Amino acid sequence: MFALLGPNGSGKTTTINMLCCLLKPTRGTARVMGFDINREARSVKTVIGVSPQETTLSDHLSSLENLELIAKLRGVPPDKARKWSAALVEIMGLGERRKDQVRKFSGGMKRRLSIAMALIADPAIIFLDEPTLGLDPQARRALWEYIASFKGEKTILLTTHYMEEADFLSDNIAVMDSGKIAAMGSSLDLKTLSMDKHTIIINAWNMTLKALDDIRAKYPEVKVNGNSLSISGKMLDFKETTDFVHSTGAIIRSAYFKEPSLEDAYLKITGKELAD
Amino acid sequence: MRFVSLAIRNAKETCRDPLALGFLIAFPLLFMLLFGAALGGNSSLSYTIGVVDQDKTEVSGQFINQVLPGVAIFKIAPFESADEATEALKNANIKAALVIPAGFGDEVTKNWQQQQSNIILELVYDESDLTVSSQIVSTINATIRDFARVNIPVTINTSHINVETEVSQIDFIAPGIIIFGLLIMVPTSARIMVRDKETGFMARLLATPTYPWEFIAGYSASMLIVAIFQIIIFILLGIAFGMTVVGNMALAFLIFFLTAVCSISIGMIVAALAKSENQAEPLCWIISMPLAVLSGVWFSQEIMPGYIQFLGNIFPYSHAVSAARMVIIRGAEFSAVSGSIVFLACWAVIAFSLGIILFRYKMRA
Repeated sequence: MFALLGPNGSGKTTTINMLCCLLKPTRGTARVMGFDINREARSVKTVIGVSPQETTLSDHLSSLENLELIAKLRGVPPDKARKWSAALVEIMGLGERRKDQVRKFSGGMKRRLSIAMALIADPAIIFLDEPTLGLDPQARRALWEYIASFKGEKTILLTTHYMEEADFLSDNIAVMDSGKIAAMGSSLDLKTLSMDKHTIIINAWNMTLKALDDIRAKYPEVKVNGNSLSISGKMLDFKETTDFVHSTGAIIRSAYFKEPSLEDAYLKITGKELAD
Repeated sequence: MRFVSLAIRNAKETCRDPLALGFLIAFPLLFMLLFGAALGGNSSLSYTIGVVDQDKTEVSGQFINQVLPGVAIFKIAPFESADEATEALKNANIKAALVIPAGFGDEVTKNWQQQQSNIILELVYDESDLTVSSQIVSTINATIRDFARVNIPVTINTSHINVETEVSQIDFIAPGIIIFGLLIMVPTSARIMVRDKETGFMARLLATPTYPWEFIAGYSASMLIVAIFQIIIFILLGIAFGMTVVGNMALAFLIFFLTAVCSISIGMIVAALAKSENQAEPLCWIISMPLAVLSGVWFSQEIMPGYIQFLGNIFPYSHAVSAARMVIIRGAEFSAVSGSIVFLACWAVIAFSLGIILFRYKMRA
């Protein structure tokens, strides 16, 4: 699973549209499963499944009819299309409403169906353009679980501007900025990019003013919040730091390295905040 | 057969959308009901014609006393002189004055004997009511040709103008309303395609390995299904209001069907060019409403200036209206309307092809 992460206008959808042969590149080309997007558009379309950014469904058709339509347009024989659609509707948790017109569906159900329409006919590559856009956190989380269930079975390229989404779903992430890939790697790789300093969070009792003065004298970046100490610095050694805090008379209850977030990485790579 | 799947989807989408279906059927239906109620029933047309017999032969007497009274839309009022008849016309007591000049009987007799003849009739009519006048002129023309056994002009070829038919207002207006209903298909067929474009559903469809012609055929076929039902409903409704189909019903249906193909293709062209429903809708109305007027849907094209007629005749609808009227009112046969049918078919093929070309070009813009 590969994510294109970037803010609105960074070129994620344009990239997907070009790869799906919906948009002609002004110059250059790309290959999808070996097919040239400029010269072999139809061949490209035989190996891809797409869930566009908008929840694009045929509103007056049922979920089954929507799925069957796409399956048939992708060249699946009618009886097989019917069977696959019925199975997919169940997998996506829409079985009980399979005969209802989709205009009556909730946003989350529509998104699930949209993704199912990308999955039908077993394409080699699936493009999901902002699959959880506009959903509430609960529905978004539920949809992540559905998408994550295809991990390891399908090659999925998704675009998102949600950090947690890219972090939760993707094996690899490309950070896009102004139409270009600014950085690429696994979530951990990208986070590591921002790790020019470490932060250790220590929860401790019995922290006297003298103890704090001693800690501040040794470490240049110390933040105190109640019983919580946040100590930052380059190449911090966990054992050495906790031993020093303990030596000041403080009683340590817990201590851990703060994980660098993808947001930190994005900020470092692009110099911009990524709006949620 | 991807286009069949698309056609079924589009037909379902239209039929399950009460607004779209209502607009498609109800709008022209409303016109049909209004005109049917206003002009239908037994209120057949009847015009009083003043007749002056200057020939005073047995032949002219036979024409005036036996033939003209047999024409359903005429009531005959005899006058002694042309001046008297013209005066009655000025006073609106008659709709037209027909003067049968001396020598009429001889010329008709020559024609009966298959000799060279030159039949002349003088007709004075009220210019302020050209629709009525043109109908009177054409009916008298048909009647005298029938009486004198003159060959029907090449333009209508071998078709026989049935002067015995009782032409009612609804007979005249119903074919026009049916064509108007089919003109409404321009915005409706554009609407479903543009909506798919605007909502992004089209992008999903375009990401499948479907050919451009399959898209156009899929969208068109669904509208054609609707058009067939529409035509049947309107013909039945017209008949219910008293429309008499004198000619071949299948021929009339063919004319309406080709007209529907033209409308749907024009709709597809608009849909390919328009970026949104807001763009497509006014564009369609700008096209279809003036065409309804130019094509003589509501009133005869004869009364329009030449350049307007020329403009109207560029498009298929005026040909459709006149051909449909010829078949329904006059009972014209295929040969008489073949020119119009060929014109409609050519228009349909060209517009459909243009739709495909534009769609292909725009589908990856």
